[in-house]
Amino acid sequence: MVQVKKLKDGSRQVILTARQFDEITKVLSELAAKTKASTILLADISGQLITQRGNTEDINTAILSALAASDFAATSEMAKLVGEDAKFKLLFHEGEKRNVYLSNIGDNFFLVVVFDVSVTLGLVRIYTKKAIHSLLEIFEESEQGEDASKIIDKDFSSMLGDMLDDSFK
Amino acid sequence: MFINWALQEINLKIVYYGPGMSGKTSNLEYIHSKLDPSLTGELVTLKTKEDRTIFFDFMQIEVGRIKGKKPKFNLYTVPGQVYYASSRKIILNGVDGIVFVADSQRDRMEGNIETLLDLENNLLASGFSLETFPWVVQYNKRDLPNAEAIAVLQKKLNFFNVPHFEGVAIKGIGVFDTLKSVINLVIQNVQKQL
Repeated sequence: MVQVKKLKDGSRQVILTARQFDEITKVLSELAAKTKASTILLADISGQLITQRGNTEDINTAILSALAASDFAATSEMAKLVGEDAKFKLLFHEGEKRNVYLSNIGDNFFLVVVFDVSVTLGLVRIYTKKAIHSLLEIFEESEQGEDASKIIDKDFSSMLGDMLDDSFK
Repeated sequence: MFINWALQEINLKIVYYGPGMSGKTSNLEYIHSKLDPSLTGELVTLKTKEDRTIFFDFMQIEVGRIKGKKPKFNLYTVPGQVYYASSRKIILNGVDGIVFVADSQRDRMEGNIETLLDLENNLLASGFSLETFPWVVQYNKRDLPNAEAIAVLQKKLNFFNVPHFEGVAIKGIGVFDTLKSVINLVIQNVQKQL
């Protein structure tokens, strides 16, 4: 996976290989099993969903990750406004049937854990903390990935143009 | 932009920006109503009781696979009212392309300019600028009697001469042309970056 970001001091690429993707999937599967979470999402801070585990058919996970990212971003701004230098590391929303636990992973990613109210928050916190630790280790392994320039070549643009014309009739 | 190699997907974020009530949400509502449901997810709108966007609207669209790769477009709008400036900054995080929806009405010129400057400030904070960033302008509400002439709007707002479109978003006029244009600009920019 490639996340390309352009920063003031030059471009920075974060490349996650297919192998890292597999390792991430294992960590999230284990987290889901330990916490009996109904849904787990891993997304980047702009709201792009990276991967998911659990029951994802009843929930629109693309929307959930976009909303969760905004949740995080809004509370970060609130933190700044009230003079809190550090970003809030986690958010917890308590419901009647379901709770949602959001936790950031470094500066670029976050985790959403949706779980039943019968599961104690403490349990979710402990296992999520462990999962985040593993995920951070996986993210730190930087390797040479696929050549990103191959993904979009000159044919791509013209074919996309045609498809857009067809779809947007 | 986010590329998922495992699924061969390219995720791009497009934000509709503009002053309050210029027609940003109307653009998304029209797109959502006209696209085949297989190409679009739900349209999420976070609104006040008065039907004003309070945080953002969101919709994901895709067009199918192109040479094995699937481009997905995440469309967002921002709240236009002046006091939502912080929220607008948040929604711009990770943006790949912008549609500036301007209100053509003569008495909304100041609002258009103020919001455009707000957009430039937010982009500058992330190391971008309207001078080079992929964006297009839609002059909406062309059907209203007090709509300013295009030449005047161009002079006051489109100083970087980006693609511009005339629109009546509630009727769908100009909506898809605008979207196609910004998508093409974004893809061209992606090719340059890669």
